[in-house]
Parts: sequence; C-alpha cells; structure tokens
Amino acid sequence: MKPVRIHGIGVAGGFGTGRQAFEKALESGLPPPSLRVDLAALEAFQPARTLRRMDSFSRLALLGAHLALEDAGLEPKGQDGLGLIIASGHGATVTTAHALLDSMLAGDAFTSPIHFANSMHNACAANISLLMGATGPNLTVSQFDLSVPSALLTAHRWLREGRVERLLFGAVDEHSDLLEHLWRRQRGESQDPMRPLATRVESARPGEGAAFFLLSTKEETAPVYAAFESVTVGRGAPVIPSSPLRVLGADGRVELGKTYGAMAEGARIACFTPHYGSFPASPAFDMAAAALMLRRGHAFASPQGEANDTESTVLAADEALGTQGLSCLTWVPEGFGVVDLAISA
Amino acid sequence: MRVAITGMGCLCAAGGTLPQCMATLFRGHRAPALPRRFSTSHSDPYPVFEVPDFEESPDLLRTSAMGLAAAREALKDAGLDEDALKGLRVGVCVGTTMGSTLNDESFCRAFRRGETPDLEPMARIRRSNPAEVIARTFGFRGPCQTIVNACSSGTDALGIGADWIEAGLCDVVIAGGADELGRVTYSGFISMKIADNTPCKPFDLNRKGLNLGEGAAMLVLQSETSRRGRARGYLEGYGSACDAYHQTAPHPEGLGLKRALRQALGSVPVEDVAFVNVHGTGTPDNDKVEGRVLSELMPAVPFLSTKGYTGHTLGAAGAIEAAFTVACLEEGRIPPSVGFDTPDPDVGICPVADITPIRSHRALSQSLAFGGNNAVVLLAKGERP
Amino acid sequence: MDTKTKLKHALADELNLPELKEATFDDDAPLFGQGLGLDSLDAVELVIVIQKHFGVEIKDMDESRSAFASINALAAYIDQRLAA
Repeated sequence: MKPVRIHGIGVAGGFGTGRQAFEKALESGLPPPSLRVDLAALEAFQPARTLRRMDSFSRLALLGAHLALEDAGLEPKGQDGLGLIIASGHGATVTTAHALLDSMLAGDAFTSPIHFANSMHNACAANISLLMGATGPNLTVSQFDLSVPSALLTAHRWLREGRVERLLFGAVDEHSDLLEHLWRRQRGESQDPMRPLATRVESARPGEGAAFFLLSTKEETAPVYAAFESVTVGRGAPVIPSSPLRVLGADGRVELGKTYGAMAEGARIACFTPHYGSFPASPAFDMAAAALMLRRGHAFASPQGEANDTESTVLAADEALGTQGLSCLTWVPEGFGVVDLAISA
Repeated sequence: MRVAITGMGCLCAAGGTLPQCMATLFRGHRAPALPRRFSTSHSDPYPVFEVPDFEESPDLLRTSAMGLAAAREALKDAGLDEDALKGLRVGVCVGTTMGSTLNDESFCRAFRRGETPDLEPMARIRRSNPAEVIARTFGFRGPCQTIVNACSSGTDALGIGADWIEAGLCDVVIAGGADELGRVTYSGFISMKIADNTPCKPFDLNRKGLNLGEGAAMLVLQSETSRRGRARGYLEGYGSACDAYHQTAPHPEGLGLKRALRQALGSVPVEDVAFVNVHGTGTPDNDKVEGRVLSELMPAVPFLSTKGYTGHTLGAAGAIEAAFTVACLEEGRIPPSVGFDTPDPDVGICPVADITPIRSHRALSQSLAFGGNNAVVLLAKGERP
Repeated sequence: MDTKTKLKHALADELNLPELKEATFDDDAPLFGQGLGLDSLDAVELVIVIQKHFGVEIKDMDESRSAFASINALAAYIDQRLAA
C-alpha cells in the first residue's frame, strides 16, 4: 500500500497566519498573548466579492485551505478529484447562535436563507470545494473534542483504499460570544499562562483556528513533512502507543490531566497547546507541530514545559528526535485518538 | 466491497419500526400534517412528517433518542444482545445535520438578551452527540463518527461504516442516520422557497418542493468472522463525489451524482440493478437533475422516491431509504412513488406509480445534499427468508 | 428616502454589495447572471429583504423573475405593490 504523506500545512491561529508563522512561534517557545485569529490574510487569496456571503467560520476554514494548498505548491482552483474532509466540533457558532436567530426575531417568515445555508455544518466544506473545484468525496465530521482523530481515521482510509489520491484535510473551530459565555460560566476566567503539563491545575484558555493538510499518496513535487503510520480512535482505556516520542493534546483542562499523565508515563513528550489554546480542532495543530518537528528532525520547546508534573521527560528545544516516529495523543472522557506519524522515506 | 447487513431498525412518520414502515409504504398511505411539536409564526403553515408517539427522555436531544431507538431495534433484529456483543470491536457511524452544534434556540435567545440562562440545554447537547450516545449506551469501544454532510449524511455514514468492517477496524458497526425536525430548520427551508405547502409530489410536473420529516434508521454491519446468523442484505458499494458547483443548488447535469453512481456500481452492470431509491425530494431542481441522470445512465431501471411517505428527513434520509431498499429487496417488490401523477417532460422519466415486482437482487439508494454532495450505496439481498 | 435609494441601501447591507452605494452603479444593470452576478440563493434572500424593509411579500418566485431584472425594475415593482 502506498504511504499517505503530508505535503502541505496551512495553519491560522493565535500565533499568526501560515506555516512559517507557526514554525516561528514553535521555535521561540513563546505563546501569543491573544488566541484569536486575524482573518485579514484571506484578502490575499480571494477578492471581497467572492467572500460576500461567507460567514466568519467559512472564512477561517477557507484561509486554512488556501494556506495548505499554497504550501503544497498547488493551485487553489481546478482541483478535479481532490477529496475534502473537514473536522469541526462546533461548526459555525456565530451564525447558528447569533445571526440566524437574529434574522428570525421579526418572525419565522424572516429567516435568512443565506444565514440558514451558512448554518449547515458542512457550509465551509461546500465553499472550499466550490472555489477549489474539489470534485472528490467531501465529508464533514463533528465529534466534539474527538472530531479531528475521528475524521482523520476516514481520511487515512480513503487515501489507503485509493478512493482518493489527494485529499485536503482541515480542522476548524471558531470562538464566539456564546462560547466565551459558556467558558466563563463553566471554567471562570484565566489570565495565567496555559501550563498543560502541570496536570493538577486548571489553566485552559479558549482558542480558535484552522489547521489544514494536503495529504497525498501520489508522488508530489512539494516536499514531504511526514507520513502517516496509523490512526486509532476508540472509547475506554486509551491505547498507549509504542512510540516513546509523544505529542500530548493536554490543554490545561484539569479533569483531563490525570489520563494525560498516564499517557505520558515513561515517554519523551512535547505539548504545544499554549500556542493555539483549547478548542475542538486543536489536535490538528498538535499534528502540524509534530509533522514540522519530524521534518526538521529536532524538537521544539514545549511552552511552560518546566511545569511538567508527569512521569516523563519533556523534549528540549532542538533536541534530536532520532529516526523514530511521533504519536499525537488526544483524550477526553468520551474517547481517545492516537495518530502515529513517521519520518517519510 | 461486500459487507453483511445483519439487522435494521427504523422509525419515521411512516411507522415506529421498520416492519410498520414497510406496511405503510405498501398500503400507499401517508399522513403529512401541520407541525405539532413546535409552534411557528408563519402565516401559511406547511405540512410536515413528524414521528408520532415518540417521546424522548429529557436528558437527550430528540435526534439522539431516535437514533438510539433505531439502534436498539437493529441490534435486536441482528440477534445481538449484550452477551453476543461482549468482546467484539463495535464502531458507530451516524449521519445527521447538526452534530455537536451548540444551537439551543431558547438558550441562545436568552443569552442574547443578556440573561444568564440555565446551562442544562447546553449540557444536554454535550451529552447528545448521536454516535456517542449509541456507543455510550451499549458500552461500545470502537470508533465513533458523527457525519454532518447535510442531506447525504445517512448514506455517507453507511459507506464509511462498511469501510471500517472491510478494513478490519471493527467486527460490528452500527451505521445510519438520525434527525429531528425543529422550528429553525422548518423556517429555513420555507425561506429557501423549496418547501411545498401541500403534500409533496416527487417528479410530478406540478411539484412545488419538499415536505420536511424526521426520524432515524440504523443498520448493523458485520464482518464475516463475527457473523453468526444469515444476512438480510449486503452493502456492496459506496460512491461519493462533490459537484463543486453551488452552495445550495445541484449541478444541472448531475456531474457529481454520475461520478458517485459509477463508483458505487464499480464493475456491477446497470442491468443488474432492480431499482433505484432516489433522493426525490420533490423540489423542481433536485428531481430534474436526478431524472436526467437516471434517463441517461439507466433509463430502463425502475425508480421511486419514498419522501412522499416520510418527508425529507435530512441527515436520516439516506439511512431510512437504505433500510427501505433492503426491505424491498427482501419483499421482491417496491411500493408506488406516492405523490406522482403527471409526467414532467423536463425530467424525462417517471417513477413507479404502482406496486412493482422487481427482477434482480441488487438496488441503489442515492442522496444529494446542500454543498453539492452526492452519495450512493449499492445494496444486495441477503439470505434471510 | 425614495424607494430606489432605500432599496439600494438595504441590498448593499444585507447582501454585502457595497458597489450599490456608488454613484456610478447602473440601475438598469441586470441583478442576476452577467450583471451584478446574483444567483438563486441571493434571489430567495432578496425576497426576505424586500419583505423586511418594505413589507412587500413575494409569494411566487415566477413573479419575482421580472421584478428582479434590475434595481429600477425592482423599485418600480415595490412602488406598484405599495400603491395597490
């Protein structure tokens, strides 16, 4: 079977826009003060006219899609046969919770068709496939915090079985007034920096962003970041990967700390969530960081890594990774995801 | 691809179980009515197909509760009780329209007014991811995936669930779709001007649009090594392709649908297809595209839309229609495509108007969706008498 | 504000079409297809916008086809409905 490789990475998060901005943040080890995304960079890719009806959620996703294709050296149009899989926990929260309901305030007969169309969970997938000409299979998955590993399972399968040769995989979630309200009521307001490896204290902060990947089984001209070994998702006790190099999805939520501690035990670990924050799509950023580390062969420093209270060693900045692969781990009480990445031959 | 279907469960306006639904279909009976479960300020009401006599428990969303009910029926039909499931790797793949969107209307409105509403509606949403609810209830340990591909979600969930069996990731997959009907969806479709204010008329010259419905259907998909009993049917192919044409309208020539059909058929010749359970929503655009594609690719194959019996159940539709398709293959006949009366020259092809015996043991079920998604499954009759 | 100006402002805001507020905009230009480039989704949104801002309800999309020809045609249609 042909290996599934990552050829393009398009990320937008609190750290900035684009793979280079993310790498710079990872190299510096300094998380950004704000975890919100600036969508202005999208203007470089699409005229305002094209974006006319798109809500903030679709714009965020489209930005990630453009960045990934650009990074892979592919045209953002005419991508006949390109598959598309989107993972999003909450979907277009600004439209569903605000704009669509506001349009109905004057009565049900005033429901805005454009807001209604944008409220569909797959609206951003529709917009991306339309603009990119991606006529392959198109899928949107919503599994709260497990959206990314669950959707990756299908992405990996589709590429492996030859249903598609090239696939754009994207994870996207936006923050909103509603989410902020819920966050504050449930977790309070945290001004402290995120210390995800201090597993016994709450330090989560809400983030948002889009992380897209151009995955392919073809021989591409663009360089390879990493290859997929396997994707495992399930419920119950998490599968502990064989690789001793692990990127943890721990994000400062104290109720998850104990299990992340168990998953880290005896391993050499890294955790980058302070760069982008806590949100359902964040495991895709873990994977982006892991792929970037594999390509350079050396680790990035984990922000607040000195606060590690697990039985593990935190990878130091620029520490050599060796020839082994990396496992990205996600865990919530509803289940787990393990994405094993390898250095591409 | 050849994955055994060992059990099926379904509830919708046509009935509370799959056998009840099939009896309704072959009686040619339908009963759309004005919405009873929610109020609306629309001056002209539109008929819908609500599920009668189903009350969800207050701790779950109706979508997930219906999905769970269909899963229970399907597992029982498959003869899989708690003991039989022990030690098996069981996955759950469910299509719906709003997977984990935090969209409780009264909560959001109160929040917008600056109030501090009770958090329970949000907690209920968090507990109600449709795939997770089924896995949690039965203690399954395999992968969970909730697919939110608008109106093709149910069909996609079947294709993806079957692939998990083929790939050896699971012994059993509960795959299907579930969707409740609410005021926002109802108002949205009316605003889009694709709802009919009379009972819908798929493929008819005078069709004006769809009627919305609600419901759920689940299929038990099983590996050959875990299967003990006879199969009711087989999932033999899955095709999926995107039009990449428009946010809400289908490609006028059905570009994506044709690709998805070819993928689903694989090497199976069109002559082997006994019938097609089409999407057939009753909107002018949808039926025209499907009619054109069918008259081009398989003009001699009988087809029907079951939306006239169930309404458009959105994310559940593909699963409900796949369950009907397998049940029709078992019965050796298909019910009339209710609501059709006058042929439309622009569609160029007519659905079956009477109960029609079928000639072979394979059939297709297809779904088209917002966003230009097209999904098709190829189904075959099993050995169960 | 006359119907046409009000209409152009409403459409500019609701359909995110700032060019409608420019003095150079041709009020006879087709709204759909080659002109302003609106499509079927805009058409159904237009129905809601007109109902919201002018209280004019368009029930039949066939009827809307000629009314939606241009800004001038639409303003005339609204005035005619309001006078009726």
